[in-house]
Formats: sequence, structure tokens, C-alpha cells
Amino acid sequence: MSTGEPALIAAQEITKTYAMEGAPVHALRGVTLGIRGGEFVAVVGPSGSGKSTFMHILGCLDRPTSGRYLLNGRDVSHLSDDELSTIRNRQIGFVFQGFNLLARTSAVENVELPLLYAHGSHITPAERRRRAMAALAAVGLQDRAAHHPNQLSGGQQQRVAIARALLNDPAILFADEPTGNLDSRTSIEVMDIFQRLKDERGITIVLITHEPQVAEYGSRIIRFKDGRVVSDLPNTFRRAAAAELEAVALEPAGDL
Amino acid sequence: MAIALRALRRNRLQTSLTISGMAIGVAAVLTMIAIGTGAETAIENQIRAAGMNLIVVTAGNYKVKSTEDFGGGAVEPSAALRLDEEPLSESAPLIGAIVRAAFHPEDDPMEKHNHPTAKQRLGDSEAGLGSAATLTSMDAEAIRGLSGVQYVAEGLHQNIHVKAGEKRWFTRLHGTDTRLPLIRRAWTFGHGRFFSAREQSRAEQVVVLGAVAAERVFGDANPVGHEVSLWNQPFRVVGVVSTTSWMVAPAPGDDQFDAVYIPFSTVHRLLNLSKLNDITITAASTGDVTRVMGEVTKLLRARHDIGEDKPDDFTVTTQARQALAKGGMRPDVARAVVGNVGGLEKVTLEQLGKTLDRATRTMTALLAGIAAVSLLVGGIGIMNVMLLSVTERTREIGIRRAVGARARDVRSQFILEAVALSVAGGLIGIVVGLIAARGLSQYLRWSTTISPGAVLLSVGVAAAVGIFFGWYPAKQAARLDPIQSLRYE
Repeated sequence: MSTGEPALIAAQEITKTYAMEGAPVHALRGVTLGIRGGEFVAVVGPSGSGKSTFMHILGCLDRPTSGRYLLNGRDVSHLSDDELSTIRNRQIGFVFQGFNLLARTSAVENVELPLLYAHGSHITPAERRRRAMAALAAVGLQDRAAHHPNQLSGGQQQRVAIARALLNDPAILFADEPTGNLDSRTSIEVMDIFQRLKDERGITIVLITHEPQVAEYGSRIIRFKDGRVVSDLPNTFRRAAAAELEAVALEPAGDL
Repeated sequence: MAIALRALRRNRLQTSLTISGMAIGVAAVLTMIAIGTGAETAIENQIRAAGMNLIVVTAGNYKVKSTEDFGGGAVEPSAALRLDEEPLSESAPLIGAIVRAAFHPEDDPMEKHNHPTAKQRLGDSEAGLGSAATLTSMDAEAIRGLSGVQYVAEGLHQNIHVKAGEKRWFTRLHGTDTRLPLIRRAWTFGHGRFFSAREQSRAEQVVVLGAVAAERVFGDANPVGHEVSLWNQPFRVVGVVSTTSWMVAPAPGDDQFDAVYIPFSTVHRLLNLSKLNDITITAASTGDVTRVMGEVTKLLRARHDIGEDKPDDFTVTTQARQALAKGGMRPDVARAVVGNVGGLEKVTLEQLGKTLDRATRTMTALLAGIAAVSLLVGGIGIMNVMLLSVTERTREIGIRRAVGARARDVRSQFILEAVALSVAGGLIGIVVGLIAARGLSQYLRWSTTISPGAVLLSVGVAAAVGIFFGWYPAKQAARLDPIQSLRYE
């Protein structure tokens, strides 16, 4: 935390140990780092390096075995399951590799999902539908609202998932291998959306990936290995997805 | 709630199979209860229709001399009149029929004497001195206030010529109360209705014809709205009464359907009378007849100011006693029975009725018990589907948890799904059960009764089954770790 500005995410000596068939597995062996609001952080590392476990803890899906995790200045490492659920609902959005949309459920109903669990804020079904449609429009899928996931392409499904993640206006978006199931062109499209979210809306993005090329869209790259951070550097060669998209559009369409 | 319903809609086949399992369970329970209570009511009704709970108070006392000998039954003419379900004697209607076959009854000078009703009337008038006019409608009103009394009807009886145009028919006239159809449980109205309380209180000139009388005077035409003349007074016909009982068919001279009914108040007004011939009472419970009889006797003795050592100026009999005395039995058997009537009374049809009641109640419980097993199977079906669906939808649970569903949100979704399944099954089951019960009573001629209580019970049980069998799967669902379930393939 080199700047005086308080970090949005502050992890202090976080460890996570699983008991697997008796033998303890140390997924995280003491991770300390901070992420400021509006950063686009790419976390890379080989599988088993602890990067996914780290994201689950930061995303309040899991709790650390030891260490402290301050989210927006509040220690959330020992909150109850209900409290963590509320934080996930209000402050955090997730995008997954497998899209994780509800099957046999229309796109707009998938997007509405977080609002169904926004306890305490009395939102009428009509208002819910309106906000879901707006979120779909923001990712350019307003005319696919009634489609079920199996009627959508991978890129479209991932955009529905992004719309869902953004519905409650979260401060942070966690993306776990969001391009793992996508071809290179749609991957760039998704990265474009992420970069615009960061630039235009100031949303903090934590991107987990094992592809170095994808990580290069981030403004900061953190490398994990064996449950530890091995490097944490600003990305000086940030790729611009929008520019690449234009370049791709100029190429002959034969290879698509 | 909406979440749960939406989730169910997504899996139509599974949902509908589970619902039908539940529906069969509920339908089975409901139908079995319907058959059981139907049998109970049928037995109860037959007993009531046979007059097991009937008590008749007659003005005057003929019993003084006749209690000892068998003649007692035969010499109770007014009592005999009340025994409407049975022909008075085997031969009387037969003779009537033969006579009518040979002559037109209107032309037959002997008709008056051969007519079985007339014969009875003769007996009635022979006993005329005994039938001192001691009962009043005030007495009837007082009896209405006794506990255990169900219905009370005043009775005035006359012989009368019914005239409609050229047609005449000599028959029996009963001045009575609006409640008589409730006492004669097997009555139905082929046309129209019984006279109303309003017509009775205003002593209007309205008449209900017995089926036989109506047939004699109007043929097959609907007489409702037409006028007949009684005592040369115009009376408006409001209904025709017939019977549903298979034990009795309307026959000439049967005093019940070869008869006309008018409000007793009208008889009082037109004939300037104030007394009653008799009062008919039903006890609310078949087993209570003897007690009610005692109460009525006590009440009337008090009202009539009869001293301790004086005999009653009225006669209280029960239908059961009369049925034993002359319910179509062979004379020698009847003689033997009535000879022992004192001892027999204690084990009579009252108790038979109670025993039958108990037996059917046991049968109902047994049937419902068997059906409840199918309900249990339906419940296990729901649990099975819910457990399967928890496994199948692990990923869905993970997704919901990731977007902020709390463990209890997931739990209540799954419980609500189970309850929705079972209640939907329950509602369908009720409809199926109602149809099945109707079908049974229509095609097999089994009587079935479905009470609102049984329906409510079924819905309640269905919901309870849903909660009970949905609880465990829902708990499992809520306990799933969000990360594990997100990774679940």
C-alpha cells in the first residue's frame, strides 16, 4: 500500500489449509497484498498455485484459515455465512469460466437473479425486470432477453453472466478464467467489456487466468506459485482490447 | 416462492410425475374416507328412515288397558297411523287394488269402507273417546326446547275429499309442521316443495300432495300451481312428495303418499281448532330415544298438571317399539317378540344401530389407514425427487449462493418446492377423489360422503408431507459449500 489512499481490498497474511484425506493441503501460505479501487488486476499462476482459492476468499465465497481480510476497511474474515452472502450480493460480482447460467431459464431471468436475493431492498418484479433489461442492453444483448442459455453462443452466455454480475452495481468484479471456454475473438470482446468497465465505471476487476496473453489486458499482474505471491508488478504493456477488435475486424473474415 | 415455482416449471416431467404420485395418495385417502363415512351415513339414514329415532306423542291414553296383551299394538290406532313406512296390513292395499281393478273407485259405494285409510279411520273413531284432545301446539313448542330433541312436528289428521275439477279422491289429510320432511328423511319432492314457514305462520291455503293422491287427481301432469278444493275451500298445490327409500314404494292407502299435507295452522284456522292429534319428535341421536321419551313424558305431565297417581292423558311410543310389534313380521313371530318386548327393548334396534355405527367407523379407519400408506409412498416420492434434484442442481445452488443467496434462502426454496409439489398433488388428488367418489356412488351405488373436514384434512396432510419430506433434502441443499457446488459437474 504505497499510496495513502486506503485499499479496497487488503489481504494480510492470509493462509488457507484444506484437510484432504487426512493430509493437510496448504493452498495459501501467507498472502499479503492490497488492491485499490478501480484497478484491473490480473492474477496468473499455474493450476494449484492457490490463485483460485485466493479469489474465493476475496470474493467472500470462502474464509481464510488465518490472516485478515479487510474489504473496504471492514474485516470480513470472520463474518457469518449470512453476512458473507449479503456482501456477495451487494458488493461483489462473479464471472466464471463455465458461465454458470441457470439452464432452462431465460437470459433476463438469469440476470435478475441477484435482485431476488437483495433482501431488505423492496424491488417490484417490474423494476427488477427493467433493471435486468438495462443490464442486458449494456452488454448488447437486449434482443436476446428471452433466449435460454443453450440458444446463445459462448460469448453471448458470458455477456449474460457479466450483466448478471453487474446488476447490483458491485464495487468489485471477480472473473475466474472468463475466457477459458471462448475463442480468441470473443475473448478479446470480453476483455474489451472489462476494460471499459474499469475505465468508464471505475469498477475494480480481479481477473484470474493461466494465460499470460489474457493477463496482459490488466493494469497490474500478480503471479502466484505454491500458495505465495512471487511477483506483483504494474503492467506497462497493457493490451487495448478495443484497438485489437478494430484490427480483427479489418482482417479477412476467413479464419473466423 | 416465485423462485421455487420457476424452478419446478423448468423440470416439467419430474414435477408432474411427483405431483401425480402425491395426487394418487390424496385421492385414495379421500375416496376411502368418502366410502367409509358414506357407509356410516347410509346406515344412519336407513335407521333414521326406519324411524329408529322417532317418538310419537298421541293425545289420549289407550295403553292403560292394553299394555299386557299382544292386542296392545293392534289397538293403538293412532300409533298405527304413524307407522308410515310399512303397509298397515298385508291384505288391505291388495283388497283396495282388486276393488279398483273391478270398479272405478269414485263409483264404488263401498269405496269408503274398503279404503284402507277409511278402515283405519274407523279404528280411530272407535278409539275416539280415548283420544281426548289434550295436546296443544304450546306443548309441541315446549318439547322443541328439550335437549336431545332434533325435530318436532305437530300433527292433525282427518279424512278428506280432494277435488280438482271433476276428479275426486278420498284420502288422508295431515295438518303438520314445515319440519315434517326433515323427519321423513326418505322424502323427495318430484315437483315443487314442502310448504314454507311463512305459509305456515300465515295459515295459508297451500297443500302438498302425496304421490298417490297427485296421481289420482292430476294423472301424470305436474299439479304445482293448480288448485284443489278441500272442505270446499280452494288450496294451491305447492309440491308433490314421493320417496327415495327402496324399502317403501308409494301405494294407495299407505297414509303417507296417499295423503295430502297442509300447515297445521291452516287446519286450526279453517276448522276453528286449537288442539293436536299428535306430536312427532325425532331424537338427535338414535341411542338417546329412551331418555328423550322420558323427558317428554315428564314435561307433558308437568304441563298438563297430572298428579302423581294419575295416568298420562297422552301416549308416548317409539317407532322401534312399534316396528317390533308389527313391522311386517309374521304374526306368530310378532306375538313372541311383543310378548317379550320389555326385555327386548334394551337390546333393540337402537343398539343394533350403535353397533353398526361402530363397525362402519372401524371400517373407515381401516380404509383410511390403507390409503394413508399410499400417501406415505407419495411423500417418499417427493423426498426422492427432492434429493435427486439437490444433487442434480448442485451447480444451480452454487450459482445462487455466489450471487448472494443465503443458506436459508436455498433451504426455503427447496422446502417450498416440496410443499408446492405436495399441495398441487393434494389439490389434484382432491379433484380426483371427488370424481372417484361420485363415480363409485353412481356406478356401484355405494353411498359416499365427502365432508369439508375431510378435504381440509387432505390439504393439510399434503402440505405436512411436503414439509416433512422436503426438510431433509432442503437441509442438504443449504449445507452445500458454494465453491464445491460451483465446481460440481
